[in-house]
Amino acid sequence: MTTARPLPRVLRTALAAPGATCYRHCDRPIQVRRVPSRLPGIWQVRACPSGVVSVTSYTEWTRRDPTASVQRMLRTWSSPASLVRRWDLRLATRRGPELGHAAERFLTKHRARGGLRVVYWRVYPFEARDGTERRLFVCLRRTHRSAVFFTASPTAKTWGCPTCRRRAAPARKSTR
Amino acid sequence: MAQRLSIPLRILDIDRRTQVKAADRIVRQHGDWSPDYLIPQVFLEWSDGRTEHILTGFSERVPRTAQAWQDLFASDWFRAIPKGALR
Repeated sequence: MTTARPLPRVLRTALAAPGATCYRHCDRPIQVRRVPSRLPGIWQVRACPSGVVSVTSYTEWTRRDPTASVQRMLRTWSSPASLVRRWDLRLATRRGPELGHAAERFLTKHRARGGLRVVYWRVYPFEARDGTERRLFVCLRRTHRSAVFFTASPTAKTWGCPTCRRRAAPARKSTR
Repeated sequence: MAQRLSIPLRILDIDRRTQVKAADRIVRQHGDWSPDYLIPQVFLEWSDGRTEHILTGFSERVPRTAQAWQDLFASDWFRAIPKGALR
């Protein structure tokens, strides 16, 4: 059995990829948001200010392949859970030499502990049954217990988060 | 990289039916396998027969993969590869 270790700052810095903009949507800068979970690694959601998700990644310093755990966790965060398909999860190993001198030396020093495993979740825009374009959105409101992933039309006038809708419904009822 | 190491370069294009099977096999055996795996994936074949996976592209953005190549060339690991150890 292998155990995961917390990700030191030197590795977190080496993995950073700043500077992207929202592709084929709004061209605004992508914001990188950390999401907490019970898994030992680090989640990062890369999304534009409107919530359109570019890619979500999970990074763990481990020898094991964390893809199955990542899929389970994403399914609890997604509405519907079937949004998370194995096909859209992609694994990458980071060993050190490709991460710059500081990270390389750090990982060489701790070679016995293995490298970094990154699982990416990228959902490409797709066409819904009604012919409209759908994209993956994330709602990171603090009132939610976790991130909420859902799909919606990028031109929709209303915020489509299903958790926000569920919370709003009882509130309307009580005002009657 | 092949030029710097004076070794032959073999490129497998996953969009070509004649090459994708070989690419799938190498990635499945030695690389970061997923059903729709990330590209590029880079491997070295050593003279003792070992195949070593050395790089997988970054999904965040293309320039990040370019940076990874630069870091790889500047790495202690790359500079320590002995001449003749690769085929």
